[in-house]
Amino acid sequence: MRILGGWIALTPEVDAKLLFGRHVWDCAQHADLWGKRLPELRAAAQVSEPGGPAVVAAFDLIETAERPEQTVERVTAIYRVVKPHLATVYERHLAVANPVYEPPTRRILLRCIEEERRHAAAGALVLERLFARDRASADRARLWERKLLDALGAARGVTGDVELPLVAEPATPPERASVAQDLVTPPSGFDVEAALGDLAAPLAAHRAALARGELAAVRGELGGEAPPEAVVEYARLVPPFERVEVVGVARIGRQRVVKLALAGPRGRQVLQERWTPTEAGWRIVTVEVTDSTS
Amino acid sequence: MDRPIAYDKLAREDRFVRMRTRDVANAKIEQGMPPFPDLSSEASMRDRIHGILVGEMQAMEGAGRSVYDFPDAPWEFTLDMARQVWDESRHVETYLGLLDHLGGYVGEFPETTLLWRCACAEDAAARVAGVNRGLEGLACDVFNQLIHIARKMGDPVIERSVDYVLADEITHVRMGSRWLNELTRGDAERRRRAIEFQDSIDERFNLGGQRQDGHHEVVPISIAKDARRLAGFTDEEIERLVKSTQRSQVY
Repeated sequence: MRILGGWIALTPEVDAKLLFGRHVWDCAQHADLWGKRLPELRAAAQVSEPGGPAVVAAFDLIETAERPEQTVERVTAIYRVVKPHLATVYERHLAVANPVYEPPTRRILLRCIEEERRHAAAGALVLERLFARDRASADRARLWERKLLDALGAARGVTGDVELPLVAEPATPPERASVAQDLVTPPSGFDVEAALGDLAAPLAAHRAALARGELAAVRGELGGEAPPEAVVEYARLVPPFERVEVVGVARIGRQRVVKLALAGPRGRQVLQERWTPTEAGWRIVTVEVTDSTS
Repeated sequence: MDRPIAYDKLAREDRFVRMRTRDVANAKIEQGMPPFPDLSSEASMRDRIHGILVGEMQAMEGAGRSVYDFPDAPWEFTLDMARQVWDESRHVETYLGLLDHLGGYVGEFPETTLLWRCACAEDAAARVAGVNRGLEGLACDVFNQLIHIARKMGDPVIERSVDYVLADEITHVRMGSRWLNELTRGDAERRRRAIEFQDSIDERFNLGGQRQDGHHEVVPISIAKDARRLAGFTDEEIERLVKSTQRSQVY
């Protein structure tokens, strides 16, 4: 719950972000149910401790995947490892929980099993979307899953006494309709030409000049009111670029703020320019290089 | 993960165009537009809905950080923050739908991160005072007005959707009122600092002077006094907010 909560801000993809957002509350309720059950079993309410230092190390490892480009690792960690593992542990506990003496525990287990399995299925679908955007990420996911399972194996699972395998497939997969409630369709793409309007043609020429590294020509498109810093910003670009793509177009009244992703042999840079219509045509009034070569 | 994280770590898809609040406002003023969308045109309505969409996203991210950043806070505080994360995630979905309903797209307007910066306050009491009471209180005012305008426009989709969201916001403000009191009990100085932070947010977010005391038909954005009372604001606090709108900054 805490890791998912902390990761929401660090995750760029809207559908993955919202998946985490949906599940934080379910996880919190699970923790709350267990925390309230504790005093009924003669332990302190809402007090928990890790199963051992190796469990702490496994979760510390999970938390390291915090860079924006590591969404695949984040989703893999929670939805392919932690949640299926928890469901497995709960199912084994349920199998031995006495139906006469332990219905309060059994009820909590049943709810947690159902929801963890549903979450894992939803996470798998989001992971598929992420793989579709970046095929190589599937290999990364497999490696990361293996590494985390090894770390969790060294800890003998979350409770420190779990027998192998740490993750068992569900006896009955969750129903698609119940999984769907956890998913939000990613926002559709936008029509770049429509968003640009009559800026499309001058921007095409501008992009071509950027790709060729003709920064003098690019600077010539600066409007009279552009601050001197704009020239300095262009100096931060490292041409040539193989691709100059329009990735964002925002409007402020008649003006357009255009975000360009520039990919070249030296890495990827993001250029954000604010364009304004003038009698002499479209001119750039502000420039910002928001990312730099790696 | 750091506790808290630096505000510039807020992650977005490429389609989002991020700008400083002041720069967006200046660009609008240069073109003779009000700094905050006045809902006088379709584009202005989309601008407002888009602004709320990214605000809800930042609120979700901020509440998520509160779940993570304060492991030593009372468990019920964490539980409330986790609930808020879920609510905000549904609000994001709602506003994605409303933006689509209006023919807009995600990224159509710049995103500013003033709200997120407020959600990065290091003290839990200041964060709930600033975000839950200051910003979610502001959301009550803005949503109340949006419902009123949607009703006048004859758009039941916006009217009903925003009404559901408003109900949640009142709950979030109430959570803020509760936790401001509980976290600062017996610590007058911490309480003073938290309220000071909230006041600074109230002043900063007076929406270019549009938020005022008065009826919807008379002022651009009316302070939602009934919603605020439901959320635990005292009459004295509402009066203080009214006074702050009379000395509002531009942004």
